[in-house]
Amino acid sequence: MSDPVTIQTAGVAAGGEVQETTAPGSGKPRSLWQDAWAELRKQPLFWISLALLAVFIVMAIFPQLFTGKDPAFAELRRSLEPPSAAAWFGYDLQGRDVYARTIYGARASVVVGVLTTVLAVLVGVIMGVIGGFAGGWVDSLTSRIGEIFIGVPYLLGAILILSTVAPAQENPGAVLITAVVIIVLSVLSWPIVARIARSSLLSVKHADYVLAARALGASPGRIIFRHLLPNSLAPIIVVATISMGSYISAEATLSFLGVGLRAPVISWGIAIADHTDYLRTALHAMLFPSIFLSVCVLAFVMLGDAVRSALDPKLR
Amino acid sequence: MGRYTIRRLLQLIPVLLGTTFLINFMVWQLPGGNPFANRCGDRPCPEAFVAAMTEQFGLNDPFWLQYLKYLTNVLQGNLGVNFNQVPVIDLIKLAYPTTIKLALLAVAIEAVVGIGLGVISGLKKGGFFDSSITIFTLFLLSLPVFVTGFTLQWILGIQLGIINPTVSAGAPWSELIVPAIVLASLNMAFTTRLTRTSIVENFRADYVRTAVAKGLPRRRVVGIHLLRNSAIPVVTFLGTEIGALMGGAIVTEGIFNITGIGGLLFGSIGRRDYTVVVPVATLLVVVYLLANLLVDLLYGVLDPRIRYE
Amino acid sequence: MTKAVTEPVSSGDRPYSGSLLEVEDLQVEFRTQAGVAKAVNGVTYSVDAGETLAVLGESGSGKSVTAQTIMGILDMPPGVVRGGRIRFRGVDLLTMPEAERRKIRGEGISMIFQDALSALNPLFPVGWQIGEMFRVHRGLSKKQAYAKAVELMDRVRIPAAKQRLRDFPHQFSGGMRQRIMIAMAIALDPEVLIADEPTTALDVTVQAQIMDLLAELQRESNMALILITHDLGVVADVAHKIAVMYGGRIVEQASVFDLYAKPAHPYTKGLLDSIPRVDQKGQDLFAIKGIPPNLLHMPSGCAFHPRCVFKRDNCTTDVPALLTVEGPRRSACHYSREVLDGVAG
Repeated sequence: MSDPVTIQTAGVAAGGEVQETTAPGSGKPRSLWQDAWAELRKQPLFWISLALLAVFIVMAIFPQLFTGKDPAFAELRRSLEPPSAAAWFGYDLQGRDVYARTIYGARASVVVGVLTTVLAVLVGVIMGVIGGFAGGWVDSLTSRIGEIFIGVPYLLGAILILSTVAPAQENPGAVLITAVVIIVLSVLSWPIVARIARSSLLSVKHADYVLAARALGASPGRIIFRHLLPNSLAPIIVVATISMGSYISAEATLSFLGVGLRAPVISWGIAIADHTDYLRTALHAMLFPSIFLSVCVLAFVMLGDAVRSALDPKLR
Repeated sequence: MGRYTIRRLLQLIPVLLGTTFLINFMVWQLPGGNPFANRCGDRPCPEAFVAAMTEQFGLNDPFWLQYLKYLTNVLQGNLGVNFNQVPVIDLIKLAYPTTIKLALLAVAIEAVVGIGLGVISGLKKGGFFDSSITIFTLFLLSLPVFVTGFTLQWILGIQLGIINPTVSAGAPWSELIVPAIVLASLNMAFTTRLTRTSIVENFRADYVRTAVAKGLPRRRVVGIHLLRNSAIPVVTFLGTEIGALMGGAIVTEGIFNITGIGGLLFGSIGRRDYTVVVPVATLLVVVYLLANLLVDLLYGVLDPRIRYE
Repeated sequence: MTKAVTEPVSSGDRPYSGSLLEVEDLQVEFRTQAGVAKAVNGVTYSVDAGETLAVLGESGSGKSVTAQTIMGILDMPPGVVRGGRIRFRGVDLLTMPEAERRKIRGEGISMIFQDALSALNPLFPVGWQIGEMFRVHRGLSKKQAYAKAVELMDRVRIPAAKQRLRDFPHQFSGGMRQRIMIAMAIALDPEVLIADEPTTALDVTVQAQIMDLLAELQRESNMALILITHDLGVVADVAHKIAVMYGGRIVEQASVFDLYAKPAHPYTKGLLDSIPRVDQKGQDLFAIKGIPPNLLHMPSGCAFHPRCVFKRDNCTTDVPALLTVEGPRRSACHYSREVLDGVAG
């Protein structure tokens, strides 16, 4: 049974030279990242998703590049007019240009997706590292707090918080509305990251090289940053990229339900929600935002897929 | 096993206290203004009405006392009345059967389609079918539930006229099938992928090799040795998701106009009828947590290595 | 049990020599992304009823891959059988339809593995797993199969077999698990038993018990036993013949007595010299220098030359053939005479 295994490791050795002698405790687990990059580079899905994401990110930062029209300009007499040469995607209920609004809608989705991920990972890693490293009652406390947040089904929790927070705001601006959604989504997501950070931390905590570093008198901070974090990084990156798409989807769902983003923010979810009653008569008003939304989520999901298969050796 | 069950049940208590506290806090403490102030149409409500309501629902008490009263009531099986004095339990009784039907159908679809596709995909790893399924699940994962919902409603209901675009009162099983597909779509994709991964991983396992070396027919190697082992993570995933599905039904019920628990909850949030929101949300949380617990126990039943610890 | 008598069929250019199991010029490759690894490169050996052949080599030498190919459990892909024949009772297994080959597994040829914990299915009771042999191959009822399982567990000396019938693999100790594995493998009285590192994962005291059990079972039923190991010490007491493998080839074949007395290949000599002996007390222990060859980048000429103390110029260019040295013993070394006589090195 031992022979095929040797051949597999031999295969790895041929790719990246002698790597078994490089101790994982050297701080830079190089072979893993080089391997992952080599694996990633080969995947067409990775490049497709990257290209799509580039488009969406440019769209989010410079929507003017894609359309000269003002997304807020409304001509009521054009309400729900179908697509034409003048307006490729037609007009919405208020007589606004659907194409312009769809382009401008990218910003909200990308911002929510990226910032929620950053916030959730930040809080999750801090809580996970504190719990995993301290152990004892601190660990129990952080784990229980996490369980409480996970104990509420995601969508239900988000609806509850958002619908009770929203009325408290007096004429909020676009930034505040978006910030609230981001915070609520991260508050409900960090325990997943914390759990992963904690468990991968525990799995390396008692590894020989970490024990050795401790025995040599390395400070906890040094051990965390030089040894534990780099080794826990891969699973966290995987879960972060995968969840980015689901945050965008969640934001759109909440906006669709009327508790997420609201005017003056321009968002695909809002555009779809505004036109559900016109499904029979003016499909275009919700069709194009739906397509953009789905493709954007798809791009993030594909990226997550590619990153996971590159970083998780089990899937290769 | 018995001790394990008890331990897990005990662990549930702090989580339940935490979540119910969280729900109560969010609902009663966060919003500004009095929930009764705007309940009388265009005119402001009479002060006497607001005072009476505030008194009835104990909103003058400090929050910890409110929470304590709530806990005592719930433990006695008393869910109270809503702002229109209708017992909440009656509202739940009316709405819950539909949601349970919908969730059961959805889980059945997830299990049958998801496991089926996953098994074939995993056994034919790398083939055309496998690649097609991978792309198919990728798309399913990218479509937000309400997009899937409207797409099916538009194609099947409006264009082809195969189904009623909205579900009629009483929600017969047949009309719930398409909404259940919508509700299931995301998890179905997950189930397919999980099953595939599980099959692919176990296919190389030593005991599968042993089964082949024993001279068993391929049918038996796959059907008994491989499938039984691969099923464990899939079954636990499906179990955990039953609870989550009930919460996720809010969107689906909205699209197809189904009067279920999701609609009740969402409508009550819109009306700021928090006396309904709290017990219904609590109920959903309890169901979710119990489903998780059951799955943990089921895990022990399926895997003897855990059963005998 | 009556064994099906199969007419010897000549499926190759050489006539059937009459051995129970013959591996002839077997070639197995692994196609990986990094390249093609020749895991087995022209291996030939045979074994007869009542005989024990020890296949010796370090991991990566191709000894397990050969066994897996005989058994038909090689992972394909990445494994590919490129050539050769495996004749069981004269019939080539490699060209046989899968349905027939399946019937030989367990009935004719059986195998036990190194790690019994992972080789047994964790979800089924051990009695069920042993009994499965009878239910599938012999059509016995569940109850009859369990009764047979108890008999077998008694035979491999598992205490309180009847009570432990419905226990799961993880509830047994390592040695007991390997006994269960053995019970399952000998359930149908196979003619050939392949033991792939059966004792490597076990404690030293348990190792001896398992080897004794295997030897005893072999005597009782006159099985042919192929014992795959990297441990020379395990081999000495039980084996009749030895095939030493290195880098996918057999480098030396001999009877146990001859090989231990005087090795004819530098690799074998190195292995023997690295066993601690009482008469060498106080001296440095010999160790073969260097690392096993990378199958993707095999050294030119003789695969062993980078580690060989006898190395000459032609060793780096010419691949030595496995040639007869004296009597039945064969060695794949350009200088096997010198090694045998102990003149060089």
